Amino acid sequence: MGQSKKLSRWDVIKSFWLWMFFSHSCYNYERLQAGAVAQYMAPILKKLYTSKEDISAGLKRHLTFFNTEPNVGAIIHGITIAMEEEKANGVPITDEGINAIKTGLMGPMAGIGDTITQGIITPILLALGISLAKEGNLAGPVIYTALISACIIGIAYFGWMQGYIQGRKAVEKILEGGLINTVITGAGVMGCMVLGALTGQFVSLSTPVVLTVGQTAIKLQADILDKIVPKVLALLLTLGVLYLVRKGKSPVTVMIYIVLAGLIGGLIGLF
Amino acid sequence: MHINFWQAFLIGMIYYLGNSTWLAGVGYYTLYRPLVAGTLVGFVLGDPVQGAIMGATINLIYLGFISAGGALPGDPALAGTVGTAIAIASGITPEAALALAVPIGLLGTLIWFARLTVNVIFIHWADAFAEKGDTRGVMLINVFPPQIFLFIISFFPVFLASLYGPEAIQSAIQLLGGKVLHVLIVIGGMMPALGIALNMRAIAKSDTMIYFFLGFFLTVYLNLNVIAVGAFAVVAAYIHIILSRGGNVHGTV
Repeated sequence: MGQSKKLSRWDVIKSFWLWMFFSHSCYNYERLQAGAVAQYMAPILKKLYTSKEDISAGLKRHLTFFNTEPNVGAIIHGITIAMEEEKANGVPITDEGINAIKTGLMGPMAGIGDTITQGIITPILLALGISLAKEGNLAGPVIYTALISACIIGIAYFGWMQGYIQGRKAVEKILEGGLINTVITGAGVMGCMVLGALTGQFVSLSTPVVLTVGQTAIKLQADILDKIVPKVLALLLTLGVLYLVRKGKSPVTVMIYIVLAGLIGGLIGLF
Repeated sequence: MHINFWQAFLIGMIYYLGNSTWLAGVGYYTLYRPLVAGTLVGFVLGDPVQGAIMGATINLIYLGFISAGGALPGDPALAGTVGTAIAIASGITPEAALALAVPIGLLGTLIWFARLTVNVIFIHWADAFAEKGDTRGVMLINVFPPQIFLFIISFFPVFLASLYGPEAIQSAIQLLGGKVLHVLIVIGGMMPALGIALNMRAIAKSDTMIYFFLGFFLTVYLNLNVIAVGAFAVVAAYIHIILSRGGNVHGTV
């Protein structure tokens, strides 16, 4: 210990390109972008730590569930790198603290990022390119490709570097004031809330079952379930899965359960 | 016009590259889009201008295309490559190509589903390398096994579809129609629950679990999107912290 372990500008830039190239290389239902986070972090951990144990702990720390919009969300990785650098220099940052910052930020950044990149910039530039191409002008696809690439890489690079530069200062400030626990709690609150919102938006499960009582047909989903809590089946499913993973069931086992439930439910007309 | 072996090979490569990891993070914004993919397919078939027109037409239905949270509402790249190839080869109008492209785009979600499912195996391999502190192993696992698998499931369907043309596409859609497609959609809708639950296990404490319900209710009752809920979450986090200090705004307990 004693001497400080500094990352060079090139280390940070190299990790940026690793992320740009491989963010979705091993995208998967269990941990989404986790493999790519571990990949860009690997050379950084190697630079910051010497013992196998520390490097192993670092890799495991970053192989946890992660998912955000990769370009606007690049700022999160800049901050994470800054936190890892502080940690390696003896600042008491827990694994939980790093995870809380990452998961707390990834929800809001995914929402903002998807809106900016996929929802605003892409359609505007596509509209330009399509209008040219429809007239048989090959400049359409060429101009579109050049402009969108410049926008995406520019946004991601700016966020990554700013996250690293500002993030370090922000982390220092937090630690001086002994506020780290407050930040972890706050990020936990935000993380839970955003995950609740993701459940409402992206988990979908509904039933086409129709109950016939005398002369009237009652649609189970529209007339009963949606009247109580809309998307209640998606909520119950998510809570059920949470119960199983908390009980120690492996994600793959749970995944098999989900496939079987969907298969049987879909075939017998329950879902 | 007949699509020969090498042309079909190149069209398969265009589709794989658009989905692959080799384009500096902009592949999803460029080669994945029918405008760009269609132009290149046209180039391969000797008529880039016609390819650009077909691609641009097909791209219209994907103008507002957004993939978020691991969910894919269709596959513009498959529609763009196969749609353009078949349209040019069979000499149909851009509008007919558009009608053909929609079911093709839906079929593409099967490739996406297979990819995100099988990649789970590779992330567990990465765990084993992380356990040993092997940075090189973790890096290689994230790139090569998933990309080789992706190549197999993305190159070959497009290669064969380009080679055997519209009849094969039609029968594949019919084969998967009805029940099978329905079951796949049901499972695809349920799957995000797993990622969310794993994340909850990592961050939720007994006193913050309640905010999960708050976030859920805000979306289902008020139809708020994730950004809006994120804004409320900042306020909720502030209030939670103040209350956990006993209501003292300036305290540090």
